[in-house]
Amino acid sequence: MMGGLELNAARQARGGGGDPSRPYGLYLVCWFLGSILVAFFTVPLIALTLSQSWTNFVGIARMADVRAAIGLSLEGALLSATLAAVIGVPLAYVLARTEFPGKGVVAALIDLPLAVPHTVAGIALLMVFGRQGVVGAPLQALTGLRFWGTLGGIVVAMLFVSAPYTVNAARIGFEAVDPRLEKIARTLGLGPWRTFWRITLPLARRGVLTGVTLTYARSISEFGAVVILVYYPMTAPVMIYELFLRFGLDQAAGTAVLLLAVSLALFLILRALARSAPERENR
Amino acid sequence: MSGAPNAAVAVEALTLTLGAFRLDAIDLAVGAGEILVVLGPNGAGKSVTLETIAGFHRPDRGRVRIGGREVTALPPERRNIGFVVQSFGLFPHLTVEANVALGRRRPAGRHSAALPGGGEPNALLHYFGVAHLARRLPADLSPGEKQRVALARALAGAPELFLFDEPFSALDTETRTQLRGELKSFLRQLNIPAIFVTHDRADAHTLADRIVVLRQGRIVQTGTAAAVFARPADSAIARFVGVDNILDGRVAESLGAMANIAVGPRTLRAAASSAIAAGTPVRLAIRAEEVAIAGAAAGPELNRLDGTVTGLQPQGPLVSVAIDCGFALKAYVLTPQARVLAIGDAISVTIAPDAIHPMQS
Amino acid sequence: MRPTQWLRPVAAGSITAGLIAAALPALLTAQAAEPAVLTVFAAGTLAVPFKTINALFESQNAGVTVQAQYGGSVKMAKQITELHQDADILAVADYNVIPKYMFAAPAHASWYAGIARNAITFVYTDKSKFAGEIDAGNWYKVLARPGVEIGRSNPDTDPSGYQTVQMLDLAEKFYNAPGLEQGILANAPQKNMRDTETALISALQLGEIDYLAIYRSDALQRHLKFIDLPAKIDLSEPAQAASYKQGVAHTKNGDLTATPIVYAITTVNGSQNAALAENYVALVLSPPGQAVMKDNGFGDFHPAYAENVAAMPVDLQKLVRPWPGS
Repeated sequence: MMGGLELNAARQARGGGGDPSRPYGLYLVCWFLGSILVAFFTVPLIALTLSQSWTNFVGIARMADVRAAIGLSLEGALLSATLAAVIGVPLAYVLARTEFPGKGVVAALIDLPLAVPHTVAGIALLMVFGRQGVVGAPLQALTGLRFWGTLGGIVVAMLFVSAPYTVNAARIGFEAVDPRLEKIARTLGLGPWRTFWRITLPLARRGVLTGVTLTYARSISEFGAVVILVYYPMTAPVMIYELFLRFGLDQAAGTAVLLLAVSLALFLILRALARSAPERENR
Repeated sequence: MSGAPNAAVAVEALTLTLGAFRLDAIDLAVGAGEILVVLGPNGAGKSVTLETIAGFHRPDRGRVRIGGREVTALPPERRNIGFVVQSFGLFPHLTVEANVALGRRRPAGRHSAALPGGGEPNALLHYFGVAHLARRLPADLSPGEKQRVALARALAGAPELFLFDEPFSALDTETRTQLRGELKSFLRQLNIPAIFVTHDRADAHTLADRIVVLRQGRIVQTGTAAAVFARPADSAIARFVGVDNILDGRVAESLGAMANIAVGPRTLRAAASSAIAAGTPVRLAIRAEEVAIAGAAAGPELNRLDGTVTGLQPQGPLVSVAIDCGFALKAYVLTPQARVLAIGDAISVTIAPDAIHPMQS
Repeated sequence: MRPTQWLRPVAAGSITAGLIAAALPALLTAQAAEPAVLTVFAAGTLAVPFKTINALFESQNAGVTVQAQYGGSVKMAKQITELHQDADILAVADYNVIPKYMFAAPAHASWYAGIARNAITFVYTDKSKFAGEIDAGNWYKVLARPGVEIGRSNPDTDPSGYQTVQMLDLAEKFYNAPGLEQGILANAPQKNMRDTETALISALQLGEIDYLAIYRSDALQRHLKFIDLPAKIDLSEPAQAASYKQGVAHTKNGDLTATPIVYAITTVNGSQNAALAENYVALVLSPPGQAVMKDNGFGDFHPAYAENVAAMPVDLQKLVRPWPGS
């Protein structure tokens, strides 16, 4: 890519002056370092994709249980992200707006699931949500809801490891909303709930959507915690693992590429949705 | 003040402790169509006072009445107020018409019949001359346009009180002047009481019917704009309202409604609001614009002082003249008049007695 | 400058310097010559005995470190054949895994030797349903009762998974109880499967499942209650190999006929530590090694049988005898 200095030189050659305030040198260094990271992400994924022959890929896409596994992953992740939004966004709001004793502890607790090894998280969840668990037993008795080998178990495991992303990003989104706007809305006659719904949340939309998207993405890829609770029905990561054991790298990689393609399409859509949120809030 | 029975808005003995800050027994009253300016330096508690009146802080003691109703226990959304802040606080994600429509209360306020178009959003946009901007987003508006939209929005709810929290502080001088003038004329037409908070005395000059001076959570002076500017209660207020001459003196002779004050080697005749005992030390506030350059007329005039020009400072259309007449004095002349003056010239000035205001401290 | 002004930069600089200094030895020694490392891939159920054997090997071979990785037998084999990870030794829970995955061209192994026997059984806890009632005589009826949850590993991917199914097939014939296999498998549906049986131990301990199909060695190592199944069906006796053949598991990989549960070991072709690997195998086959296996609940394997004896290193050939009936 043309570096800023070359653009500047080109501009001066055309007779215009370069913009002396634009830090071309700084941008150049940032792009250089950044391109290392971009390459670090894309090269392995491209290598994985190119390792697939088209026929192999199509063959895998034809397998009904592969498609079912990917569909199950997407469905579970969607439920997980929705739950994270419903219970995580309100938490983010109070963390952003209120002070209370122990606030630091709560904030640290939110980050904790990210540090727990996934297998350990799965076992802890099984302890609580299993048929003899402190939550699982009464739930099963009252509603028949079970978490062992069910979609519910998948969602619970996904939610545990990925909900922190929603809370943290939404919190930042709310903190960026000027509290004075909320005050003005109140003076206009909007009660606290309407103010939240019509003013605060729309203005924090970007942060919230970013968080929910991250939760969604993280949920799709979760393996260790899910597999403790649920092996059948198989989510995509479990299916990939099973294919590796039964056949080999080719089938596993092929399924992974299919999963990546579907996920990429979804994320592009979600990002487009987030972008249509007002971009000019900060002028 | 606190007993004014016909005041449209009354604040009585409002006391509040907010962390380390304290509001102490604030009394305010605003009549219908009146603009009350709360003037004070930063940190004086102006915004806190306003927010308490709006309902965002619960006072420890005191009452707030708006339009005859006691609203002290009510949340902000039930107090029927309009609130305009710095940068006008338009909701950035809504168009102009959506912003204004949000202000419309349901059911409509009881005074909305008196508003332009009955308070209907479109009619308000037309009233303020911003109907052509209805579909725009706030980020695309000029400050003047933003002010009008903010007013339209606040008005849509038929408020019984307008609150302004330093809305001009982020603007340049010229825009400020223009917006001040527009605001004053809008508020006159609407006849709704307003409390305007600022640290800028030019705002107070233009807008205030009455002024309340706030310092460290306390009211230190109230009165009409003219009174506060000409007769500040103490030297701190005097400096704040732009009095250039604050002189230390001693009462030489008390003459009832007048007093002879010794200032340095001179004696000045001042109008006092009440008799001051001879020998009392006083501080005199004399506005620079009240120091008149005397012509070479014969006969003694009251408070004629002879001295020398020690400095000439151009300030736009005026020139500030520093004079030594036994003590330092400052006067203003128009720029054309200053052309005949030079440093070192002899000069005579006169000051009317009621332009000399004795203060306690 | 005042003292507090330079304190911060100096502190930051010292900490950074200290961290770099601490990291340097690790960075540098990565380049320098290191003591020999023997990489062992082994079935999960061998984790406990191999810990002892590895310590024994390290004490007998000064300067050698054994790095062992445990997991499903098929997974470990594939890590070598598909993922091309470097290993010196492969030890599996079912000897069939080695010829099936490692012998195919390019051959990653050329022989294997049996190192221990095991038996399939069911483990349970006090919390399990009918725990007080179940015994060696009525187990197949109890396990088929409604409401009993049984866990097992995936027969499509893991030896103990298909061995469990084979055992149930044999049991049906042994007890002359048609429908036994179906009845018990009905209590061990897909939701109770995992890719290895060890992953289900937590579930058993938490009471999510009542019984778990697993090896007897695991039962003994973890002090879990287990059912003493007849040798004719629990795949523990190489001598019964012929009658075991009647047990069949239908899997996604085809129908698998039952063979005795024999753990096997081999050295990986092309390993950098061939001599050390040989010594390791010798240790496992030796009386001390076999004693460790026995102490951990495995059946000993005397004399050691091996397949493709001629392909083995000469020194190891002396320790084994050709596999009977192969």
